[in-house]
Amino acid sequence: MSLLSDPKGAVADLTRPEAWVLGVSVAFMLFLLGALLTGALGPTYFLFLVGLAGMYALLSFGLNAQWGFTGLINFSVAAFFGIGAYGSALMTASGSPIAGGFNPIVGLVVALVAAFVLALLIGIPTLRLRADYLAIASLGLAEVVRLIVLNERWLTNGSAGLRGIPSFFKGWPVLSTFPETMPGIRLVVIPGSPVILETAFWQASLNVLLVLAFAGAAYFVLRRAHQSPWGRVLRTIRSDEDLARALGKNTYSFKMQSFILGSLIMALAGVFYTHLNLYVGPGDLDPITTFYAWVAVILGGSGSNRGALFGGIVIVTIREGTRFLNDVALPIDPAPLRLLLIGVVIVAVMRYRPQGILPPQRELIWPSAVDGGGTPDTPESGVREQKGGGSDE
Amino acid sequence: MSEGALPKRDAVLRVDDLQKSFGGLAATDHASFAVERGTITGLIGPNGAGKSTLFNLISGFYEPDGGTVEVNGIDVTGMEPYQVADHGLIRTFQTPRKLEGMTVREAMLVGPRNQPGESFIKLFATPGAVGESESANLAEAERILEEFEIDHLATQPATDISGGQMKLVELARAMLAEPEVLLLDEPVAGVNPTLAKKLKDQIRRLNEQGTTFLLIEHDMEFVMDVADPIVVLDQGHVLTEGTPEGVRSDDRVIDAYLGGGT
Repeated sequence: MSLLSDPKGAVADLTRPEAWVLGVSVAFMLFLLGALLTGALGPTYFLFLVGLAGMYALLSFGLNAQWGFTGLINFSVAAFFGIGAYGSALMTASGSPIAGGFNPIVGLVVALVAAFVLALLIGIPTLRLRADYLAIASLGLAEVVRLIVLNERWLTNGSAGLRGIPSFFKGWPVLSTFPETMPGIRLVVIPGSPVILETAFWQASLNVLLVLAFAGAAYFVLRRAHQSPWGRVLRTIRSDEDLARALGKNTYSFKMQSFILGSLIMALAGVFYTHLNLYVGPGDLDPITTFYAWVAVILGGSGSNRGALFGGIVIVTIREGTRFLNDVALPIDPAPLRLLLIGVVIVAVMRYRPQGILPPQRELIWPSAVDGGGTPDTPESGVREQKGGGSDE
Repeated sequence: MSEGALPKRDAVLRVDDLQKSFGGLAATDHASFAVERGTITGLIGPNGAGKSTLFNLISGFYEPDGGTVEVNGIDVTGMEPYQVADHGLIRTFQTPRKLEGMTVREAMLVGPRNQPGESFIKLFATPGAVGESESANLAEAERILEEFEIDHLATQPATDISGGQMKLVELARAMLAEPEVLLLDEPVAGVNPTLAKKLKDQIRRLNEQGTTFLLIEHDMEFVMDVADPIVVLDQGHVLTEGTPEGVRSDDRVIDAYLGGGT
């Protein structure tokens, strides 16, 4: 049922968690709108946050394609993100020690090719083995990539990072000069709190357009792939790889495809980040990015694309929202609160809704399966159990 | 009847001198036998006789230390399970595997081999062909579910059905893979008598329609009723093979398997 053709029916058709998510999202949007109109939240900064949310959604989509679909444990999300960011920055930045000055499209292609090759190289020795080996190898990979970026100054500029990165739309007709050609606008909705839209705002709008295009394309591809016979094989592998093998599926090949697809989407997030932040440094490859992506996927519901999107937005809200706590007199420094809050959210989700907020079953081909009641909720205690256990509602 | 004495007319599966050791233990010890096309061949033996190991060797899950496995005259020794399956040998598992987040109907649709929609490229390049194949497979799945009289389970979550029903679904799904020879690992273990009878009827019906079976089963009554011939395994090697009556009255079988009591 489409939300556009029959909004009432679509709302009535929602499950309780879906309705809850919808309600919270609407309330959150109203809150943001209020903050925008009263000038508490700058419109350009708001668009930057939307861009970040899109970036985290992409990272979560990528991890979801690996862990959520196939059960592959990848702890090197930050490495693939970094490959995307550095691949594109090294090609386009004026401060690049090796190339630089290329069109951002060239940077995009180079970043994706680099991520493809890296995924292949790490996948070949590990994907024939048990899931644990990929987990261990990917942990090592993340650290190796980070240390190379930090220490190989001739290649990456080391700890100084890369500056002089152009906007993604540099060299494009119309769009490259769009921010400058747009007139400055001064909106007064609430007297005394004018909202000013200038060049930076229009530049940020373009970034949002870009991340929407990336995330939209990734979502479309993943949604179709997840529901398809291809995705069905991945879901079978996640539940029981031996069964898939016995039924004639080349599980090694399927796992490789899933791993590469996810890695490419993570690299796409990196490419976007490069052109959003206009600076990349070794700090962007810190393991915290991997941690955030895992939290987003588990929170949203492993295997669920909508859940990954939701999880990505929650992460950015917590990450950036805590900055505003600086304005409130608190007895403690608010910065560490981020991790504490995320920890609390994860504990609460694991305790009360181990399958995640928006588990994937509603996205499947025959949703009539859930209308009949669905499986009972089974609390999960750990990764291994979660991999094999009944976690979908 | 002694080992190798069966007339080798048209063996769909031939196991020759198969060996597999774990550490110092020979789990499969120079085992040889053939499964004739069109038969329901039973594979029996006491606990630890090496039946499951043999299944794993035949279906490619274990690599043998020696010997050969032929399916339809093609040597599949050392091949990956999916390659063995591609040659027409499909197997089920002792413990039914339930697929998370799928309806029974979807779990069935994992069965057909080489679906165009299983190619990521074709999924986007030729959506029409993918859709057609999916519709055809869906119709076939519905037909088989009806034949198995479990079509009422189609929209149930695959994790929500009983163990016995799962065994039926497993058998039904295996049929979608169009096997030439189907290996069933304890098809009625833990299944209530009503469902066990249903399974037996289905195995017989499918056999009449041309599917060859090799099945491991501990339920003697079941195996003696449905299987002919029967291969008896003991300590990793083939003790004897023959008709149910012949096996039942063989002293060596009574010694090894029935503990000399019955």
